Amino acid sequence: MALTHSRLFRGTVAFSLTELRVQLHESTAVVTSLIVQVVLLLFVFILARDLLPVALFGAIVFSMFGLGQRVQNEAAFVRIDHKLNELYMAGPLAPEAYFLGMSLGVLGGYIAPVAVLVGVTLYVVGISATTALVLLFGTSLVWLFASSFGYIVSTLFRDMRTIWPYASIFYNLFGVLPPVFYPLGFWPASLTPVALVLPPSAATALVQSTIGWATLSPGEVALAVGSLLVEGIGVFLFAIYWARRTVREN
Amino acid sequence: MTTEALFARDVRKTYTSRRAPPVEALAGVSMVVHPGERVALLGRNGAGKTTFLKIASTLLRPSGGTVEIFGHDVGSRPDDVRPLIAVVPQEGKPFFHLTPREQVFTYLRARGYDGRSARARTEDALGQMGLQEVADRLSITLSGGQRQRTMVATVIATEAPVLFLDEPTIGMDPFARRAVWESLRTLTKRGSTILLTTHYLDEAEALSQRLYIIERGRVLVDGTAATLKQELGGTLRVSIRGGGRLEAQAKEFGSVLLDDGTLHVITTPERLAELIGLAVREHLTTTVGPVTLEEAFLRVVGRSIDVEE
Ligand SMILES: Nc1ncnc2c1ncn2[C@@H]1O[C@H](COP(=O)(O)OP(=O)(O)O)[C@@H](O)[C@H]1O
Ligand SMILES: [Mg+2]
Repeated sequence: MALTHSRLFRGTVAFSLTELRVQLHESTAVVTSLIVQVVLLLFVFILARDLLPVALFGAIVFSMFGLGQRVQNEAAFVRIDHKLNELYMAGPLAPEAYFLGMSLGVLGGYIAPVAVLVGVTLYVVGISATTALVLLFGTSLVWLFASSFGYIVSTLFRDMRTIWPYASIFYNLFGVLPPVFYPLGFWPASLTPVALVLPPSAATALVQSTIGWATLSPGEVALAVGSLLVEGIGVFLFAIYWARRTVREN
Repeated sequence: MTTEALFARDVRKTYTSRRAPPVEALAGVSMVVHPGERVALLGRNGAGKTTFLKIASTLLRPSGGTVEIFGHDVGSRPDDVRPLIAVVPQEGKPFFHLTPREQVFTYLRARGYDGRSARARTEDALGQMGLQEVADRLSITLSGGQRQRTMVATVIATEAPVLFLDEPTIGMDPFARRAVWESLRTLTKRGSTILLTTHYLDEAEALSQRLYIIERGRVLVDGTAATLKQELGGTLRVSIRGGGRLEAQAKEFGSVLLDDGTLHVITTPERLAELIGLAVREHLTTTVGPVTLEEAFLRVVGRSIDVEE
């Protein structure tokens, strides 16, 4: 009996459906999640139309990265304002199922705008099979990283108002500043390793290399792939540990 | 290892933080709740009730002592305890962007109930809490009392073996409160055990078979409403309007209190006729009623505050 109770991820699917319903009842937020991407795409369209493929793939990666911010705000709000973590944690739902279910629910709610971006990209510039695979690999790990990170950060705050600035600084700093919407070549060459270590720009660098907008040495490919895997899975595993650890306040 | 629903021994909690001085919220609380019992935790604001409930429901690390739920230690075996419990958190709210029906249903699903039984339990709980009419409105559009009813419905629907309810009826109208009482009584008849906090003393009396009064992190009283009322020295309250001038004489009949010109005397049935006779001779209007738990609470806790200060 003890074994089934402590079973890892118990209740993940059910809780992700809970969170999905919550998100779907807030459809305006889903639509507005595209604002930054659309504005940046518009600038690129006006100023440097040939960079549109790069910016479109960047927008897809950025959207997946930005889901971390949604998870962070949702987890913080539900805990601080609603005290619902207490309702859910004092029960058989596994703590990591709460974290992962919330992340999956947010993903489910916000996947439609990403699908729109993918559709537009497919229509405007086309997506080869290689690019599609690299994109799937990169965005999956970017999402895993960002959602896990967002959940962990959400647990560090006691009130909502302090959390908002941090959330937007982090996601805009690492999602817009590095070469996500623009080619890796425009980024200072000496800082290339930094771009390849940050998950969003690591993913876009790999995607850009498949569409001829970046030339990566085998070592650089390994750095980008390794960073995505280590950071994505590493932070995810830490979030599982952290979710269990923070059920009980000190 | 015990088979008590809840067995707490010398639970202590001191909140520490870098910025503020430490706060000793619990200074050694011991408590037993037997299976199937309804027990109320009473005490002033800040007495330590919520702190105790959070420790007992695996949500807060104690500084010392142990709590066992059906023999499982909440500190070392939380994964064994959690399936056995359900909690209405103090000031908790349902998901704003779920309807009450969705809130209850999805919560049951997340606790592992299959779709069919979750659906049946959801309808039953919504009915018990009188939420049918608003069951399909988003909670963000509901009143505070309706949201609170949704929280209670969510938790009673689980029929968990041990239920912790922290001020479950706050903000509810008298009808809704009675609906909660009725549901909780039914739950204990079916075998659940309930530990709740409330500031409504009539609720504590109507609902609980036993009560603990917590004061400054310690158990001040462990008893029943009846034993607590005995502390007052009588079971009847005689109120004599404009009876101030009788105060000295009335003291022979029991404890007295002059409030807004009315003299309140706590006395026994044996001395009632004599006391009323005194008032009648003075042509004063008199009303007689049973003493309330609230009066006993004020007396007992008030006395403790006086001693401390
Ligand atoms: N997180 C916290 N940090 C510091 N002090 C706290 C915290 N939570 C509660 N307290 C303090 O502990 C005491 C008991 O609080 P609580 O258990 O909430 O009381 P009650 O539920 O009986 O009103 C109070 O003095 C309160 O200020
Ligand atoms: Mg409280």
